Amino acid sequence: MESELSQTIEPVSVTHIEVAHHEPVSTGRPVIFDVQELSVYYDDFRAVRDVTLAVRQNEITALIGPSGCGKTTMLRCFNRMNDLIDTARVEGRILYHGVDLYDHQVDPVEVRRRIGMVFQKPNPFPKSIYDNVSFGPRIAGFKGNMDDLVEQSLRKAALWDEVKSKLKESGMALSGGQQQRLCIARAIAVSPDVILMDEPCSSLDPIATLRIEELMRELVSEYTIVIVTHNMQQAARVSDRTAFFTVDVREDGQRTGTLVEFDATERMFTNPSDGRTEAYVTGRFG
Amino acid sequence: MVQPRRKFHEDLDWLEREITTMGELAERAVGAAVDALSTQDVARCDQVIAGDDAIDESYIEIERRILDIIAMQNPVASDLRLVSAVWHINLHLERIGDMAVNIAKIVKVTEDLPRDERVISHLREMADVVRPMIRTAMEAFALRDLELALKLPSMDDPVDRLNRGLYGQIVGLAPDVRLLEWGIRMNVVSRQLERCGDHAVDIAEQVAFLLTGEFREFTDASHGPNAG
Repeated sequence: MESELSQTIEPVSVTHIEVAHHEPVSTGRPVIFDVQELSVYYDDFRAVRDVTLAVRQNEITALIGPSGCGKTTMLRCFNRMNDLIDTARVEGRILYHGVDLYDHQVDPVEVRRRIGMVFQKPNPFPKSIYDNVSFGPRIAGFKGNMDDLVEQSLRKAALWDEVKSKLKESGMALSGGQQQRLCIARAIAVSPDVILMDEPCSSLDPIATLRIEELMRELVSEYTIVIVTHNMQQAARVSDRTAFFTVDVREDGQRTGTLVEFDATERMFTNPSDGRTEAYVTGRFG
Repeated sequence: MVQPRRKFHEDLDWLEREITTMGELAERAVGAAVDALSTQDVARCDQVIAGDDAIDESYIEIERRILDIIAMQNPVASDLRLVSAVWHINLHLERIGDMAVNIAKIVKVTEDLPRDERVISHLREMADVVRPMIRTAMEAFALRDLELALKLPSMDDPVDRLNRGLYGQIVGLAPDVRLLEWGIRMNVVSRQLERCGDHAVDIAEQVAFLLTGEFREFTDASHGPNAG
């Protein structure tokens, strides 16, 4: 069955996706994800409660907060990765270009092609550098010049110059930072609209971290990026908007993630509105 | 509450204590300089001049600690605003200290000149407004009191009026050349006190920034009633 997402958004080639452009709902760029009162449950346990926020096109949106605040759960909702957990369900809505991402007619595989993900630990396939990048497009039936696509993707991921002479060597032989950039190249190769990043630098050294951060600022001219990070300074350095989540602990001990504040990053780090954000970013949290 | 950045927060507490002490020293220096003027007390002038070393040492130490904090602690939100405000207040207080020294030096070089008690009284009146201005600005900082900070511009109005009003009195001293020479020096004293008032207003602006996160000048020298 053709997905509602495919029906709603004009079919496009794998290398170039035309996305619907919405009028901004407020000042700023068009909204890509319109999250409306989203709650996420694992069985009866509510992991995240009533999140409402808007992710805008060609911006980096950072999700920050203490462990267990639901920021990674939130990130995984954007490409329906939580579907892979049997007990997970969502309430509320995420509109992606105006389409309900969780409508039963939407194909999660198509969602994940348009909304790529880079994980905490670099996870290249145990294949050559070339095959790592070409794998996704090949599966998606890409019929163009694969060599060009691999080169373009590696160039965009700022890795080409370092690997162009050893494309047939294993991706696993690269350094941690290079592996992460290979994973970014792999995500880019299928021409996504959005790149989700789940603590992409947490296993990298400071130099490799700065390279990824610089890369993110380059990529955002072409893609929309949502990043989860434990590193507040990273959020401050790279993101345009920041969402701060915290954990509410009920009397019975149940812990639920909630969105405390969502604003321009500059404001979140100079003059946040909520005292809980202030306490967290200044390190006065309990 | 757990405070994982204890060293950082101790540094901020130190900054706050040090700038408060510096505010007291600067305000007292202005008071002492004007007292020395009233009583022609040269020894007191020397104390004011020597006492400025303590203000300068505080100034340099605060400056150094702020650079360390910015380099190593990445202050954000209200911590960042506090560091920024203290950085500015530090410079304003150091300048107030210098102005007290200027007044003390003028008292010394005019020691042998004749004087006019009406002018002295006029300058005392100015100092009686300026000193509370410095205290009020620093109290607004210590208490994080926006309402108090917002009082500074209106407190400064009489200082500006008195500064302008002194000119006519000094011109009136003209027939006596030595008295006129003294009067011209006193015009500089008046200017120093008027500048102290401006620095107090600027300190209050920093307090308002610290509390609101929005920076705006309370008074606009280039567009105000006396501009140009």
